[in-house]
Amino acid sequence: MKTLINKNIQTWCVTAAILAATLVSSCKKDFLNVDPQGQQPETQFWKTPEDAAKAVNAVYANLRSWNNVAFNAIAIESTGSDEADKGSTPTDATFFNLYDTFTVTSTHGTILDFWTGQYQNIQLCNQVLGNVPGITMDEALKARLLAEAKFVRAFSYFRLVRAYGNVPLRLTIPKTEADRNLPQSPKETVYAQIEKDLTEAAAVLPASYNADNVGRATKGAAIGMRAKVALYQKKWAEVLSLTNEVIGMGYTLFPDFEKGFRVENENNSESLFEIQASLLLDNKDASNSQYSQVQGVAGHMGWGFNTPSAALAAAFEPGDPRRDATIIFKGETTPQGDFIPLTVPNERYNQKSYVPFNTKVSGYNEGAQQNIKVLRFADILLMNAEAANELGSPSQALTSLNKVRARARGGNPNILPDVTTTDQTALRNAIYKERQVELAMENDRYFDVIRQGRGAEVFGVKGWKANKNEVWPIPETEIEQSSGLLKQNLGY
Amino acid sequence: MKRIFTKFSVLTFLCFLFNYTAFAQNITVKGRVTDGGDKTTIPAVSVQVKGTTTGAQTDVNGNYSISAPANATLVFTYVGYTTQEVAVNNRTTVNVVLASASQQLDQVVVVGYGTQRKIDVTGAVTSVKGEDISKQASVNPVSALQGKVAGVSITNVGKPGASPQITIRGTGTIYGNTNVLYVVDGVWYDDISFLNPADIANISILKDASSQSIYGIRAANGVVLVTTVRGKNGDATINYNGTMGFQKITNAVKMANASEYATAVNEAYKIQAEPGKEFLFANTNLGAGTDWYKQALRDAVVTNHQLSVNGATEKSSYNFSLGYLNQDGIVKNNNYKRYTARLANDFQVVKGLKIGYNVTGSSSNSKDVPDAIFRNLYAASPVVPVFKANGSYGEPADFQLGNGSDINPQATLDFFNQRTTKYRITGNVFAELKFAKHFTFKTSAGGDFGQEEKRAYTPKYEATLAQRATNSLLAVDRIETRNWILENTLTYDNKWGDHNLTVLAGQTAQRYKENTLKGTALNVPFSSEGDLYLSLGDGRSIINTGKLNTATSYFGRANYSFKNKYLLNASLRADAASQFYGGNDLWGYFPSIGAGWVISNEDFMKDQKLFSNLKLRGSWGKVGNAGVPINPSTLTVSQAAQLLAVFGKDIPQTGASVRMIVPPALFWERSAGTDIGLEMGFLDNKLNIEADYYNRTTEQAIFDIPVFGSLGLETSTIIANQADFRNRGFELVASWSDQTNSGLKYTLSGNVGYNTNKVLNVTSGANPIYKGGAGLTSGELATRTIAGRPIGEFFGYQVAGIFQTQEEVNASAQSQDAKPGDFKYVDQNGDGAIDRKDKIALGNPNPKFSYGLNTNFAYQNFDLTLDIQGVAGVDVYNGNLSARFGNENYTKKMYDNRWNGAGTSNEYPSADLAGRRNTATNSFYVESGAYVRLRNIQLGYSLPQAITSKWKIQKLRFFANAQNAVNLFGYRGFSPEVGGTPTNTGVDINVYPLYATYNFGLNLTF
Repeated sequence: MKTLINKNIQTWCVTAAILAATLVSSCKKDFLNVDPQGQQPETQFWKTPEDAAKAVNAVYANLRSWNNVAFNAIAIESTGSDEADKGSTPTDATFFNLYDTFTVTSTHGTILDFWTGQYQNIQLCNQVLGNVPGITMDEALKARLLAEAKFVRAFSYFRLVRAYGNVPLRLTIPKTEADRNLPQSPKETVYAQIEKDLTEAAAVLPASYNADNVGRATKGAAIGMRAKVALYQKKWAEVLSLTNEVIGMGYTLFPDFEKGFRVENENNSESLFEIQASLLLDNKDASNSQYSQVQGVAGHMGWGFNTPSAALAAAFEPGDPRRDATIIFKGETTPQGDFIPLTVPNERYNQKSYVPFNTKVSGYNEGAQQNIKVLRFADILLMNAEAANELGSPSQALTSLNKVRARARGGNPNILPDVTTTDQTALRNAIYKERQVELAMENDRYFDVIRQGRGAEVFGVKGWKANKNEVWPIPETEIEQSSGLLKQNLGY
Repeated sequence: MKRIFTKFSVLTFLCFLFNYTAFAQNITVKGRVTDGGDKTTIPAVSVQVKGTTTGAQTDVNGNYSISAPANATLVFTYVGYTTQEVAVNNRTTVNVVLASASQQLDQVVVVGYGTQRKIDVTGAVTSVKGEDISKQASVNPVSALQGKVAGVSITNVGKPGASPQITIRGTGTIYGNTNVLYVVDGVWYDDISFLNPADIANISILKDASSQSIYGIRAANGVVLVTTVRGKNGDATINYNGTMGFQKITNAVKMANASEYATAVNEAYKIQAEPGKEFLFANTNLGAGTDWYKQALRDAVVTNHQLSVNGATEKSSYNFSLGYLNQDGIVKNNNYKRYTARLANDFQVVKGLKIGYNVTGSSSNSKDVPDAIFRNLYAASPVVPVFKANGSYGEPADFQLGNGSDINPQATLDFFNQRTTKYRITGNVFAELKFAKHFTFKTSAGGDFGQEEKRAYTPKYEATLAQRATNSLLAVDRIETRNWILENTLTYDNKWGDHNLTVLAGQTAQRYKENTLKGTALNVPFSSEGDLYLSLGDGRSIINTGKLNTATSYFGRANYSFKNKYLLNASLRADAASQFYGGNDLWGYFPSIGAGWVISNEDFMKDQKLFSNLKLRGSWGKVGNAGVPINPSTLTVSQAAQLLAVFGKDIPQTGASVRMIVPPALFWERSAGTDIGLEMGFLDNKLNIEADYYNRTTEQAIFDIPVFGSLGLETSTIIANQADFRNRGFELVASWSDQTNSGLKYTLSGNVGYNTNKVLNVTSGANPIYKGGAGLTSGELATRTIAGRPIGEFFGYQVAGIFQTQEEVNASAQSQDAKPGDFKYVDQNGDGAIDRKDKIALGNPNPKFSYGLNTNFAYQNFDLTLDIQGVAGVDVYNGNLSARFGNENYTKKMYDNRWNGAGTSNEYPSADLAGRRNTATNSFYVESGAYVRLRNIQLGYSLPQAITSKWKIQKLRFFANAQNAVNLFGYRGFSPEVGGTPTNTGVDINVYPLYATYNFGLNLTF
């Protein structure tokens, strides 16, 4: 009896086990097909108007990334200039010296990182421009979203072409291996594409947005950016007509120069385009702008890099309030009441990126809420003045130039008298000078001097050489990967 | 499915019902077991009633006592001896003489999905007994293996609770999961820190590809099989092991004192020549100042208690154990506690059917210290007091020290409040059915369920300028894992005539799921730990991510031996993993084959006396690696917070887009390895020598490869089947066991492993992989992986010397950015600029040699263990020295040897070490990482049986032990034992300092 039961149990066990084994293997196919966890597959994206909006939001958001606004932007767009010193302590981030002394070579990481940062913007724009047209949605909104992406793509290519000259022109999403390795386009072609994007964007973009959407690219931003692009190509007539068009759009200079740079006055009447940044307490990762942090008063509100130089401090006319609004001096008390102790390592700090100390939230980047000014009306006026002067219309030039000086004067009749010279050269120099002080520490000066053709004159003492330093080297790893398709810039 | 389970439950119930099976009447059998050679008694011999789980063990004097049926057969087994079966035949005393397994015929080793007689093994498998592990008094079982096994290199991590890094025969894979596979009683793990070392009966390390290939999918980094203790003895045996000791920092690096520091900083200022900053310290006579290491470190107490009860009745066996570990870190405030409980039961339901389970519960609780503390202690300036006279924290800003040394480490420790708790329940249930004489069917379901929570709270505080918080911050990270594995195996085992055949067929399915939840909140008040909940704060954020992988596999193996002379093994495993679902390469196939020749069993060897064992074996096998992220061929949408746009007045608008490209078709990474081994036993196996040569090529290894920055992707690399690399080497183990006439028993065992690692080719051309030490040197990376060279070798400038004069600087390629006292780099390509093109290979972080010498001595009641271990032919990058941003402290060595004016040094740079390009990766920072250490020394004394038996104690042993007591190395840092991921190995920054552990303990068995 017992043996019989044992036998039965054995048989059952074997049967059950075989059944179990079969069962496990039979559900194999579904078992291995697991969905990506917490990530939407692309096949489910690009379907709805919301998807289109999200993709355009991503384009704007990336503009505040580290590569776009922090060390890399500073090294490429500011350190070489005469207005900024490396900052911080002499031994901190010494790589900036390579850019300050023009000894950097193509293998340095920042050369690649700034490049990559711009192409990251461009990739996000290309995703929008390649995928959003296929989404069924309100056509007017679709057109606007596409125009916004074109604006950012143009802006990013402008930063690239200024920094590197001939660059690969990526306008679509690479589909094949061959698409990935693109040759450089001549910078003229790149400029032509920038102008095309901006022209198309300007035709669609609205002049303004509702309160919830302030900060998106506007018609004024697109036209103003096109003017600046024309300025870099010395297309004076275009600069003049485009700036005239912007002047006619109702922008006004913000009355108080210093206050115009404070967080509460972001996107003000003078602003054509700003990179939007915020400190969101419930979203630390989205509060990722380090623009203000890297330039903040060392130890108190940041790291203290990209400090205004003694030359910049000396460049202002006596009594010019912009000097105090642009530079935080060691030992001063800021208008917002922050005392800058004498123990800080640097004599001066950038005040245009300054955010008061009491806004610091531990665990978050200092000054993450500070927008980055890209294009403001004062620049438009100065471009207008420069173009008018080059085209032989000194009176229009003086009108625009003196508007900028009048605002800076802040109602004080004893300072910054109107410029009156009608001598083309003298007026040109006055406009250059005005650009230096008005746009100081806004990452404009370095390439501005170069496009004026005065690189050797102004930066030569630091090691800048003509026919080489107009552009930075092409990143070496890009050349290595291109199997020789990409060519290094002259002199590197 | 449900039906099946119901059937199973009924079955189980029935099985229990018939558990009362009667047997012939039991009698108590006693006896003594002695060695046939030297006639000494043998303790710990397993005595088992054949066909049951009833068992006992001999005590220290070789005596046993067991209750068995009068007609039973007793089986005596002991490692190294021939198993003997003796019929009881109504006797109450059965003395047994065990023959030393001179040909190791019946010595058994654990291999994948089963056991094999050692003689039948054709691959390279090393077994380590549980007692050798628990003897180390290591808190982590893996750490105890250091120096024990040829070809296995273990890098210990000082942080309490952290698991050591283990590498078997060189780096097996580069991307993804680079851990070895641990299989504990059939369940797969990446890490076994949850195991109490005392619960381990045996560890088997599968070193060659043919032994590993039965674990195909996860075997690329080697396999470690762990068998846990199960109940054996007839009567309940209670074991207690306890140790108490302390950990003491050793080989500490001496730092400059306050006067020296001030002198050096002033020199640096002079060199920097910033206008108005000619010096920092008007007075450099500042005495010793603060010794930050002394301030923050301590001799740390560690206590370990392990209690187990095991035994077996006629039809079941049990083992229940508890473990408690309380380890203080050598940094004040740091503490780690681990509680483990384990229960294993086996039931012989009916003849032929055994069911059982084992379950381990483990919980740990750690009071953490910040990861950066060791870097802080190194960098902190000795001129800063811990506290000022008024009681507030010493303020680096008072001295204008700036970046790099703006931290008061005491404040770092005081305001850091982080607890990590881990809970884990893991184990398996199994049923094993023997039927039709030769077949065994085993089914096992294993699970691993864990929860880990890290809770960090920073209060609102103001300690120093750089250390303050304007608001409190609470961060809670919670990770849950839910893994299971199902296994079914069928084994056929037969012996007829001269033939010995075992065939195994099996199937498994596994699922790995991880869910991570990270929350933060601001302004959480704190009056007690009870306040630390996210809901009490504002500015709350939450991030939730997860992972899911599944795999299904089939495998089979045949082992055949003829006349115990000719051996043949072959296996095949087929794996399908969800990571490759939808691609062309869903299935990976991993075959192996091995052959052996036991020469000493040949007739022509009969008359020779030299060899007691001589065996030649060779094997080849393939293993795989599915350790890629979840299905990389699926293009996914990124909705990272960094893509969230903000318009108007801080109005967030979600952003999402595609930021990746599909990598070129990804497929299984496969490694093929050959192993040739020679096993020799001399002088009746007193001397054993085992030598192995191996060569393993990893084909189509998955690598991070660089992509065009101009593609604008989220990451600068993508993964691809990119490179082939090779690990090749040899291993030699020699051991000598003997007993002198005076009764001294001893074992001396030495092992050495030699391994070279080389990247053979890179599919997409010469694109190197730069990695390692990001953040050390303004983004300059310290390692490079390129075809023709070892994985992750150090890469940087070659230092020709130190610039002595400005003229020398002017004449060099560094004329624009160097000063006297700086490193003079070799302009390798002579283009007049120093850049990456001038960087060369500087050293290899993969150890060439690892070796160990393990000895045991026993004389009367004393025993002594002495283990020496080391590595050689390895380099370390001294990142602690090179990572400088400002006025970090200097080592005393740097201070004493620094350049200070022309002619003072051509090796050490000036005090302005952080200046210009001195911190770039260069040969000055690459140092030999070779070391040799007294890994373990233990002296034990067992009370004589005459005394203990009065107290009904089987065994009482006291011991004292010291781990890492003596370490010899030339490295200028704290410890050359650095570790790291494959392309980031050996970069020393912020490494936990080396410490020695001194323990007193006792083993007690009732």
